[in-house]
Amino acid sequence: MISIVLFLPVIFGLIGLIAKNRIVNRIALVGSAAVYVLITIAQWLNIQWYILPNWLISYFQFDSIGIFFFSVMTIVFASVSVYSLFYFKAHNLNARQESIYIIEILLFVTAMTGVILSTHLALLWVFIEATTLTSAILIYFEKKKSSLEAAWKYVFICSIGIALAFVGIILLSIGSRSINSLYFNDLYNRAAEINPFWLKVSFAFLFVGLGTKIGIAPIHAWLPDAHSEAPSPVSALLSGTLLNSALLGLIRVQEILIRAHLESFSNFLFLLTGFLSIMVSAVFMLRLKNYKRMLAYSSIENMGIIFIGISLGKFGIFAVMLHILAHSLSKASLFLTSGNILHLYKSKKIDDVNGLLKKDPRTGWLWIFSTLAIIGMPPFPIFLSKFLIVKALWLSGLSWLAIPFFIFLIIITFGMGGAVFKMAFGEISSEQPGEQRLGLSAYVPQLVLLFILLVIGINMPQQMYTLLNSAAGFFH
Amino acid sequence: MSNIIIILLGTSMLYVFAASRIEAYVKILALQGTLLFLLVVVDIKEINWLNIAFLIVETLIIKTIVIPYFLLKVIRKNEIGREIEPYISQFYSVLIASAIFMFGFVAAFWAAKTNAGIKPLYFGISIVLIVASLFLIVNRKRIITHILCYMMLENGIFLLSLSVANEMPMLVNIGVLLDLFVGIFLFVIFFNKIQEMYDGNHIDVLTELKD
Repeated sequence: MISIVLFLPVIFGLIGLIAKNRIVNRIALVGSAAVYVLITIAQWLNIQWYILPNWLISYFQFDSIGIFFFSVMTIVFASVSVYSLFYFKAHNLNARQESIYIIEILLFVTAMTGVILSTHLALLWVFIEATTLTSAILIYFEKKKSSLEAAWKYVFICSIGIALAFVGIILLSIGSRSINSLYFNDLYNRAAEINPFWLKVSFAFLFVGLGTKIGIAPIHAWLPDAHSEAPSPVSALLSGTLLNSALLGLIRVQEILIRAHLESFSNFLFLLTGFLSIMVSAVFMLRLKNYKRMLAYSSIENMGIIFIGISLGKFGIFAVMLHILAHSLSKASLFLTSGNILHLYKSKKIDDVNGLLKKDPRTGWLWIFSTLAIIGMPPFPIFLSKFLIVKALWLSGLSWLAIPFFIFLIIITFGMGGAVFKMAFGEISSEQPGEQRLGLSAYVPQLVLLFILLVIGINMPQQMYTLLNSAAGFFH
Repeated sequence: MSNIIIILLGTSMLYVFAASRIEAYVKILALQGTLLFLLVVVDIKEINWLNIAFLIVETLIIKTIVIPYFLLKVIRKNEIGREIEPYISQFYSVLIASAIFMFGFVAAFWAAKTNAGIKPLYFGISIVLIVASLFLIVNRKRIITHILCYMMLENGIFLLSLSVANEMPMLVNIGVLLDLFVGIFLFVIFFNKIQEMYDGNHIDVLTELKD
């Protein structure tokens, strides 16, 4: 099963690259997504079979939290792969460009799968760096001046960050000399033997390194540029899955600190940067002129909320998992819809977009409902996760922090809601062509994502609850 | 013997602070690769041929020959001569470099005392390499210098990993090397594109995206 998820997309992508045929391309992309969905379902039903070569078997494994992150990634990946069909049509890509796009996406997804499945800290690092390298070309895919700048900043800032994370890994191996292994299981089971000083120093490096990749303030500089300049389906993948995979790395490292009873140190870092991120995105949200950048800042905000949740330990961890799931799906839906808007208006400026509901009512409503989902209107699940995080603040005796938390959230809601409603309502300006309709693949993925969110928010299925709970149970 | 090599490594970094011809940086990079190779050879204690072969490929072939040659070709093709005036002037940079060296030696002394099983001089100089290349990246303006200093940062991390007795599994080593290689390759592709699309090849031209 693991070998399928690791090797099949690469093989499919290579076939597409060699064939350079539109139909083969599409089968490779959607086929890989379908296989991922099947494997996710198999994991939920607890069907296991391993055909991994022996020397690889100790490096990759599905654990409870891995299954959860894998499921989130699969949902986003499947919707992005369907939406990509619309992207190909809208941009009139030739077969060669399509193949390049597809192999890049598939390599990117493979690298993220590697991050999720790795059982070895340094191997996780290798795959995180691989996600940077594979996604950089995707950001530059439209070959514009601005996308080149974004891609350069992204690949360079993240590479430096990840290099610092490697320093952290080496420092950890200094501190854990008696263990002499960087397998997570060994580190967890013998966490008490790790020298606390080296563990703290290495955590600081890993926090900065992986935090750069997660896009947490104040090291978020690449995130708005990369998310706004990438093709919309790629932005959805970046926001919905890439940030999560780096986050999973940090969660796995945090678990070492919890086992070594040093969590007060790491929790402080999580709490501080979490609040800083919400503050930064609240400050910028009011003055943004580009709606894709607006969505990117909202990603920073949500990562901040997740960090706050992680810092609250056992009180917040269930809410964190729910928030990760809900944020990924809502943000993917928003970025995909923003691709529709970009296609309709040919502009990323909020001011240029008017009367979306009159121009294309379907896109308009998807835009409004996805926004309601991300700002946490009931019955969408982000309402529940934010509520649970505030409750966790209360339970951990930090209830006074709920006040700035609410203030920042209100500013963000106000900024985002204002921009979105301005874009959706109003009249179409006279020089714009009237009502337009896009293909089916431009609407269905977002509809499915919103439907899943509504089901989770209104009446969470027992399976989903078990999945979230077992992922939350990863924390000691 | 290994101490002399490490001191030379540190000195090579000091030279980067003083030099301003880009080709000199590439030569330093190749020199650092050679020194790391010698260090690995001097330090060999084991007879695991796979590991030795891998280390030789990494230091001698990739770090000393392939990447510097590749970068030199790019520099000659684009006719880049000198570094442009950095944010902090040369004189103050050298002062800061001495401060970084002092910090590195303090770290080495401290590491010798802690009994954490690390080789003090390796540890101190690797910190010098890492901090100094980070400072150079922040201070210098040319994008090609950033790529070169990123390589020096990687050399520093390599030295740091030599200061620890623990070994990474082969799979990880290969992965790290592959990432490094692809990373440099990508950097150069983007560098060439920036050179084509923008009027100039320093970071001051990248100002299109901001809030």
